[in-house]
Amino acid sequence: MTTEPAALNQWYTLGACKDFGQGASARRLLGENLSVTRQGERFIVSASGRFLPVKTDFGHLWTSLGTPARGLFDMPEVKEVDRRHIYCGAVTVRASGLRLVENFLDLAHFPYVHSDILGIEDKPEVAKYEVEQRREVDELWATKCEFFQPKAAAASAGGQISQYMYRVVTPFNVILYKTSPNAPNRWDVIALFVQPVEPDLSIAHPFMLMIDETSSDAELIGFQQMIFLQDKIVLENQRPRLLPLQPGRETPTRADLSSVLYRRWLKEKELTYGTEERSDRVA
Amino acid sequence: MSLKLHDYVLSAECYAVRLMLSLCRLKYERVAVDAYPGNAEAPVLFDSDTDTELHDAGIILTYLAREYDIQWMPQEHGQAVARWLAFAATDLATLSAARRIATLGAPGDLAMAVKTGRAALRVLEDALTDQSLSGQDWLVWEKPSIADIAVFPAVALSHDSGVGHEDYPAINLWQRRVRKLRGFVGMPGVPDYF
Amino acid sequence: MWVPIALGRDVPKGTTRAVIVEGRELALWRGESGSVQVWEDRCPHRGMRLSFGFVRGDSLNCLYHGWEYGTAASCRRIPAHPDLDVPSTIKARAFPVAEAAGMIWTRDSGEEPMPALPDARPLVSLAIEARPELVLMVSAAAPQGGAQIFADEVDGMTFHIGWHQVDDNKTMLHCTTRVAADPLLALGAMRALRERAERRAA
Repeated sequence: MTTEPAALNQWYTLGACKDFGQGASARRLLGENLSVTRQGERFIVSASGRFLPVKTDFGHLWTSLGTPARGLFDMPEVKEVDRRHIYCGAVTVRASGLRLVENFLDLAHFPYVHSDILGIEDKPEVAKYEVEQRREVDELWATKCEFFQPKAAAASAGGQISQYMYRVVTPFNVILYKTSPNAPNRWDVIALFVQPVEPDLSIAHPFMLMIDETSSDAELIGFQQMIFLQDKIVLENQRPRLLPLQPGRETPTRADLSSVLYRRWLKEKELTYGTEERSDRVA
Repeated sequence: MSLKLHDYVLSAECYAVRLMLSLCRLKYERVAVDAYPGNAEAPVLFDSDTDTELHDAGIILTYLAREYDIQWMPQEHGQAVARWLAFAATDLATLSAARRIATLGAPGDLAMAVKTGRAALRVLEDALTDQSLSGQDWLVWEKPSIADIAVFPAVALSHDSGVGHEDYPAINLWQRRVRKLRGFVGMPGVPDYF
Repeated sequence: MWVPIALGRDVPKGTTRAVIVEGRELALWRGESGSVQVWEDRCPHRGMRLSFGFVRGDSLNCLYHGWEYGTAASCRRIPAHPDLDVPSTIKARAFPVAEAAGMIWTRDSGEEPMPALPDARPLVSLAIEARPELVLMVSAAAPQGGAQIFADEVDGMTFHIGWHQVDDNKTMLHCTTRVAADPLLALGAMRALRERAERRAA
């Protein structure tokens, strides 16, 4: 259980609405047990008898253990009628949710962890990209990212240079935009909503808004799950399990610009949940 | 192309079939089915040449060896092969169950599944040690067989439920031999290359 | 003090092996030149365990981003920046290593030299779910001069067994013989020891 305001005062997803049966079910968030009751399309979420705020945007159930300063971030693509909404299921990862977000932002691992799909070994160079902190919306953006990909998406027939943009909307929610192989001037949207269960245990909810008329749902889900499960073996074997924020513990390079900015942003917010620097860490 | 496989990318049983097909250099049509979050069944193999439909990884591996590449099914060691196929389907299945509980939130007792999974790994470790001290690198005789292919996926994926290979030096060496076989393919959790 | 942590045979050229010693994760690996390395199982980049990496020639490459380390533990190449001259400060943490008596040894600190031990034939490394004290008691072991290795006589066979503590409830034995023994009988004797120790621990 945490008392840290930076962790409490945020929106977190508990999963896709469609994955909740009618009636009562249990979930866990930031070390607390939650009760979720579904009545038709209405959801009630409570923790220790106290009712929590609820939203059902993007087909997902959202709640907070505190009082978030802002409403939920927006994703205008969710309203575009030609997009497929792909829910990839919930995957449990024994790692800090912050490591999941950092891994999602990382390009340099494509030729190794996702070899022959998102990258190949003989083209490992990460070209310079740009990062910025957009203070007016309190989001981090990485733009002008590029990588050669043999198989960029389920529908890809050959290699392409993919353009990427990353948008970190909250410390535990991140969205990436990548050139759609089926619609050259538009972006496919792939989101990772992370539900921190404990400081070193997370549930990942990948969600996609894709432009693709040919692939089956199973192919789209399978592709994203495959990518995510390839990352899981890394995430669960990073040491320490909690993100170390002390300088010198890890060694970023220029390719790691997004994660450097991300860690600085976490420090600014005084968010220590999921890091080694937790002040209320239980022994 | 006569072979068609209903396949789920994350399933250990499906991986055994995909691996066998690749090692035998067999072309096949892959139909992705949604076993999670959906409920579709996989693996299912269809062979239009023989009008066959098969469910269950062990049965499919046996069929592929007999029909297309008999070196994977040494006749003189039929009983030993059958024992290992049964081992993969029962004892090792607890490791696959542990993986589903730990990763996909399936219901179940993770600690218990891990405990019985580890007991299965110890059996495998002892067997591989016995084999290597008789000068054999593979489960059943001096060459790889469908016994090795059936057993490999759950073992290679044990990390997904937090079971590493630190206690199992013979398994460590054996699974590297499997990964060096010509035609080997990996899956998420089992890196492709060395 | 020097501690045996694996049989040399179990880390052939081109392979890695993860070992846990007193709760700490170590990565063992051997390059083509044949010398074995014992490193902290952690890449200095983002903490990925190096035991998941791959050996190419005399380098160990991290699975996450392919960072390449030579036998001196310093990072030689960062694939994301192919033209970068990697600073010599980027290195994995290496521990002292020795190979003797068929085993791979390491030590934490201290200066004492590796004890002189005769060559031996490797038999098996066994994980035992019991504390070292229990295992040693059950085998009526006579520790040999300060190193974590003891001799055990069973059924007319003499075993020379190195051991290390994995964690609070687990010990690893690295069993060897100095003269040829029937492998299946020898294995049987060691597995019986494992069983006796685990029964006591239960």
